[in-house]
Amino acid sequence: MLEVEEIHTYYGESHVLQGISLSVNEGEVVALLGRNGAGKTTTMRSLIGLTPPRRGRVKFFDKDITNLQTYQIARLGIAFVPSGRRVFNSLNVEQNLKLAAAAAHPLADRRWTMDSVFELFPKLAELRTRRAGFLSGGEQQMLKLGCALLANPKLLLLDEPSEGLSPAIVGQLGEWLRKLKHKGLSILLSEQNALFALRLAERGYVLEKGRVQYHAPADELLNSAQVRAYLGVKFVEAS
Amino acid sequence: MVEPSAKQTHANGQALREAPPSLESSLRFVEVKRYGKLARYLFWTLTVSGAALLTAYLVPPVWLLELQYVAALALFAVATNLLVGYGGMVSFGQAAYYGLGAYTIALAWLHFKAPFWPCFLLTPLVGAAAAFAVGFIALRTRHLYFALLTLAFAQLFYTIAEQQYDITNGATGIFGIGIPATLMDPQKGFLFVFAVAALALLALWKITTSPFGLTLRAIRENRVRAETLGVNVFRHELLAFVIAGAFSALAGGLFIIHDQAAYPELLDWTKSGEPIFMLVLGGMNSFLGPVLGAFVYQISHELIVQHLKDWQLVLGLVVLLIVLFMPEGIVGLFNRTMWQRWLGKHAAKSPAAQKQPHAPAA
Amino acid sequence: MTTAGGLFIIAAGLTLVFGAMRIANIAHGSFYMYGAFLVSTLVSTFGSTAFWVSLVAAPLAVAALGFAMEVLVLRRVYDKDHLTQLLATYAMFLIFADLALRFWGAQSRAVAAPAILSGSIQVGGASFPVYNLFVVVVAALVGLGLWALLRFTLLGWRIVAAVEDPEMLAAKGTNVRMLYTVVFTLGAFLAGLGGAVIAPLQSIDTGLDASIIVAAFIVVVIGGLGSVAGAALGALIVGLFEALGILWTPAWAPAFIYLAMIVVLQVRPSGIFGVAETPW
Repeated sequence: MLEVEEIHTYYGESHVLQGISLSVNEGEVVALLGRNGAGKTTTMRSLIGLTPPRRGRVKFFDKDITNLQTYQIARLGIAFVPSGRRVFNSLNVEQNLKLAAAAAHPLADRRWTMDSVFELFPKLAELRTRRAGFLSGGEQQMLKLGCALLANPKLLLLDEPSEGLSPAIVGQLGEWLRKLKHKGLSILLSEQNALFALRLAERGYVLEKGRVQYHAPADELLNSAQVRAYLGVKFVEAS
Repeated sequence: MVEPSAKQTHANGQALREAPPSLESSLRFVEVKRYGKLARYLFWTLTVSGAALLTAYLVPPVWLLELQYVAALALFAVATNLLVGYGGMVSFGQAAYYGLGAYTIALAWLHFKAPFWPCFLLTPLVGAAAAFAVGFIALRTRHLYFALLTLAFAQLFYTIAEQQYDITNGATGIFGIGIPATLMDPQKGFLFVFAVAALALLALWKITTSPFGLTLRAIRENRVRAETLGVNVFRHELLAFVIAGAFSALAGGLFIIHDQAAYPELLDWTKSGEPIFMLVLGGMNSFLGPVLGAFVYQISHELIVQHLKDWQLVLGLVVLLIVLFMPEGIVGLFNRTMWQRWLGKHAAKSPAAQKQPHAPAA
Repeated sequence: MTTAGGLFIIAAGLTLVFGAMRIANIAHGSFYMYGAFLVSTLVSTFGSTAFWVSLVAAPLAVAALGFAMEVLVLRRVYDKDHLTQLLATYAMFLIFADLALRFWGAQSRAVAAPAILSGSIQVGGASFPVYNLFVVVVAALVGLGLWALLRFTLLGWRIVAAVEDPEMLAAKGTNVRMLYTVVFTLGAFLAGLGGAVIAPLQSIDTGLDASIIVAAFIVVVIGGLGSVAGAALGALIVGLFEALGILWTPAWAPAFIYLAMIVVLQVRPSGIFGVAETPW
């Protein structure tokens, strides 16, 4: 469903992505691995049009979306969940969710509704009227996921979801993502925590300095000594 | 939002970019290289003073008075460009120091009948002192807040000048300030103003090419990186602000020679916009761009006002066009096309031609 | 209170534009001035009954002007640095100023308030001009309307979200460019309304734009960018400082509001109700 062909992305003069190609098939979870600064976030931002690539192509269901505006891409059914605490702090939980729901494509089947999101995250229902700025890290994570789901996307771009979360919540996060995966949602997941990502994903790409260094099925990546050595630090931390 | 720029630093090692080629560096080709440094200075000194003398004797007195004003404004614009162009600090209150320079002489004359020369020499000091106080507070903020704080301080000075009738004559202003008779003569006055402005510009040029000036540019290009390299950003910016204040005040002092008057409008925020227009007009990527801008600004002002009352309309349209289509001003036009083509030098695609005047700072 | 009321209406529009679009719109002062001039023209042409119509018509005309400015000029500078944006709005300010001079001339004008709003009423021993109360009521209505907009409507949430994080808003499927057009037009409408409401209280001339914009910026900065509540509080503070200043030392009064801004920014660098970090 998503085909990325040789994209080159720049921040000003600096050449950050130097020809990245990858693909995500329907119903698949794909991991994007690499160290800090390898280009994971930039790849995400390029896909959603926040920093459009200068060269190369991005296709979504065979439609060229490289030069579309961010909001157009979002409306086609790609939901971007950024890393960190990027929720709208001055809006309350309900407002955040309703705002996100407005992005859904008018013809999309509304598999996710307010109710089904509250079913997945009962905590959010309790916190309905609380301002997002006053939520804990884990609650904000729920809110970000809930918002993304309400847009009823075909593809979910998750940027470093485990970053800054306590180990307990990372465990929870894994549960949620597994549930989404079973419901057939396609996910592109960027992570520094390689173990966490590869346990979920079918395939993985390892980025380094803006290029794809390795690309293999998840279990192969997990067993490759080279990749382990490259991402090794994170394995130790995770286990 | 911080992340991308942080990455930028990692991704390209040479974050501190080369200074864009400027009019001066293009002009340097005109020089005869084999004579060396001393000869170069001599050559320029002679050329510049020759040009000044020629102007003084060929141009009619009315226009000489106008050129006095242009010289003062040019100094004002270049001093402002030290902040805006080199330092990336958009101050919207530079008129405060310009006006303060003028008022220093005016008030001393009004209350103490103080002689001109010591007051004139005092102007940069007054400007520097005021800039130090303002900069100390305003530089704790950045970008638009900085612009608005500098504006607020300038308006503070403005209201004082306008309201304190007992001290400043209020909105009426102070007129007929006594200056030495020699300076009243258009020719000699012009030569004096021109000489002072030229020397001040030379000093500013030395400052911008000094390690301090380069650091200032480095801060503009990448503040975070400069900080990690151990640069005290605040002190550098404060020093730049003080220097700009001092030279702006000196320009205000020169204005007194031209007009022998000081009034609150010299401090108003719309006056602070003028040097910014000039440097945008001339191009802020080059040292002499603002000089050209001041010349074009003031002369076209005079010409247009004579025929048409809509000076602001014309100015607004021109600035709008420049902002939208010619981000490097008039000098940019020169750099990009004329000089390089004329010199047959097409090797280096000017990096300035590809980017906007300011890389978005972190 | 009257000063505060008028200032609030203007500053509310400015703060929305400033907060959501990151544009310091100097031409906002021009919109204010145009609102006042349009009312004076309408009233002098059609008589004082036209005042009520002009109270709506003038802001609408100004909103149309704002819409045109956004579409023709501002759209081209959103991805430029803030100096360029500032210059673009300043250039528009100059253009508007000269056009106003062409249309309305250099002479100052006065607008008479309709009969119902003239005179004064007695409240608890003190007498208040009716029109001043009217200004306060309009300001309160504007405040209430904006509060409801930002609190209960999707458009309002989008504006709030744009103040915080326009990138994420776009990623959530909002056409941010179009939102900017709406916000800017709304801002222009409010500026025009401010000018229209204030028209009978002051002499209307071509210097209005420059004098009001500085005060409006101060209110916005004191209150915090993008915060309507902040604009209300900022307007009150500025009004209060000015009133107190006039009571104590009339000659120094205008200086007080600048001091107020400088002091507030020292204590709270992003304004009283500002979002903690400024994103630019």
